[in-house]
Amino acid sequence: MINPLDWISHVTSLLVGEVQTWVFVTLVQPVLYHFHLMVDDDFAYDGVLWFLAGLLQIAVVYAVLRPLEALRPLEIWPNRRAVRVDVLYTFINRLGLINLVLFFTLQPLFDSLQEWLRLRGIDNINLDMLWPGVTDRPLVAFLIYFIVLDFAGYWYHRAQHQIQWWWELHAVHHSQRQLSLWADDRNHLLDDVLMAAFFAALALLIGVPPTQFVALSLVSGALQSLQHANTRLSFGWLGERLLVSPRFHRLHHAIGYGHELGHQNNARLYGCNFGVLLPWWDVLFRSADFTTPLQPTGVRAQLPAPDGLGEDYGDGFWAQQWLALRRMARRIAQRTTARTTDSPRKPPSGGQTA
Amino acid sequence: MRKFLIGFMALLTHIGLAQAHSLDDVVVVLDSGDARITLINQATRQTIGSFATGKEPHHLMATPNSQDLIVANAVSNDLMLLDPKTGKPIGSVPDIPDPYQIGFSPDHRWFVVNCLRLNRVDIYRYDQGKFQLAKRIPLKALPSHMAFTADSKTVYISLQETNAVAAIDLPTQTVLWSMKVGETPAGLWLTPGDKTLLVALTGSDAVVAVDPRTRTILKRIVTGKAAHNFRSMADGRHVLVSNRVSDTISILDMDTLTKVGDITGLRPGPDDMELSADRRWLWVTFRFARAVGVIDMTTRKLVDVIPVGKSPHGIYFYNRAPFYDNLPPLSELAQRVAAAR
Repeated sequence: MINPLDWISHVTSLLVGEVQTWVFVTLVQPVLYHFHLMVDDDFAYDGVLWFLAGLLQIAVVYAVLRPLEALRPLEIWPNRRAVRVDVLYTFINRLGLINLVLFFTLQPLFDSLQEWLRLRGIDNINLDMLWPGVTDRPLVAFLIYFIVLDFAGYWYHRAQHQIQWWWELHAVHHSQRQLSLWADDRNHLLDDVLMAAFFAALALLIGVPPTQFVALSLVSGALQSLQHANTRLSFGWLGERLLVSPRFHRLHHAIGYGHELGHQNNARLYGCNFGVLLPWWDVLFRSADFTTPLQPTGVRAQLPAPDGLGEDYGDGFWAQQWLALRRMARRIAQRTTARTTDSPRKPPSGGQTA
Repeated sequence: MRKFLIGFMALLTHIGLAQAHSLDDVVVVLDSGDARITLINQATRQTIGSFATGKEPHHLMATPNSQDLIVANAVSNDLMLLDPKTGKPIGSVPDIPDPYQIGFSPDHRWFVVNCLRLNRVDIYRYDQGKFQLAKRIPLKALPSHMAFTADSKTVYISLQETNAVAAIDLPTQTVLWSMKVGETPAGLWLTPGDKTLLVALTGSDAVVAVDPRTRTILKRIVTGKAAHNFRSMADGRHVLVSNRVSDTISILDMDTLTKVGDITGLRPGPDDMELSADRRWLWVTFRFARAVGVIDMTTRKLVDVIPVGKSPHGIYFYNRAPFYDNLPPLSELAQRVAAAR
């Protein structure tokens, strides 16, 4: 008897394969050949799959979440103009442009690092091979990698908030005051490349197979789009504790509560709800907040005085990118000055104080 | 009586099935992008199963005694051993870093591993199934294919990124020389008597013929876009080369160093090839089409396409025509090796 899941997987694989082949052979390979880039044709073939998977993901996420945003909005906005730039960020990220940059900039470094480690007998771990026959089953391996990468994502996210110059890059993400299904990929490009490099290195270290990595990225991206959607959607008491819900994540975006240093919220650290997909880590490390009512989202420094500093985080793509770099440079300069003068640290003007 | 007849019929059926699956007719295909192996019945051309192997299995070859078929799992850093006749897993060899391309020297003393990702060539001493590391040789960049001289003294390595071919002296494990040959060199082939080294240029539309003694390029033979890999036609005179962009296979005359024919109308990305023992059927992996093809060499037409997994690369079957042109038959090699021991 044919297993329906196997059948769906088989048909999907055939369809995707046909489209991937057509796009690669018709559009990509001739360009590679013409520009003497055939050494990268295997990578480009895989890149086409990333591109198609990203396109499909955007279509599915939009088809599911946009009607929800229209039918059950959490916030009513006069218009969606502020959201438009996030659409651009989404296409840049999910169609694989960041991975492309990573490949051409950091891949040689990765290869050298691997070479160096291997020569010293340091191997990658291949988590799915820990218990042959069990952990190498595709679903089990997927769950293992999902949990391990999410755990790493939790600490990575906390570091983005804790390290001051890094926060200024990550603030691009938090500066969106109209959270929507498009908001997840609103990040500084440098932050994107850092994140992609971190997770690619980790995936390589723990042995995530390429096909699993594509699947993990797709699932993760779709869930994160859901978390940012402007819709009233309850996961229920138990659901909220199993998977990061829109409500849980929206509280992380709350001005002066969810993500900024120095405030005194119940979560005790420097914010709350840092979990990427699983809230378990927030519960475990005491940074979870399931109870506080929802509040407006954004960065405090954006607010007009006296609540904030009225700082401009930019409306357009390039303005947001440039202003973040400037804020980052200012942070680094302040830190350097503080060190050289050995003076007591003053709160910076970037908005990280309550 | 009725019971006896039913039993007899069942026995006949069982024998028939057993014959269908136990004959030496299993085609082993490495689906490098899926980390799986697909098995195909060589006679019926039906897929008979698939199973997981290590990550990024790209190439495979039989051990010198043909007892084991070695699958090189590049990202898992190990070798998987299969029964070469049935394709069933029978063992593994751990801790072989980044085995992308593998090869045994004709005297069976050396096992050479091209570590494509790590930019180095690892040379192991091979003795009775044991691999002992002799030397790691850093070799930039992207060492991909290899060819051995008949005396087992030299192995040539193509370096895809640096557009070069390097020669390594096996007894001392040192790099003798390297030379530029053209864009993105991949497959290497030695003509009978080790007279000429053929180099397939994947970044170009040609094979270059190199005299390895003088290190000069003798000739540039236009084949098709992205010439990639070789397979002997086992007639002592012709060799096939797959062209990954033009989707063709060219036939080269090794005596005259000319192209004498093309097999066209293939699916995207023809790559590794295997020829049946009777020289009639050429099997080829289509790297960018998730399929393998079967070509009738009498008509030079593609007659069958069999879907497999993602990025099929290496292909092997036991009942095959001799693979190399510069080496004597395996039986003779085995005698020589036995005499040397």
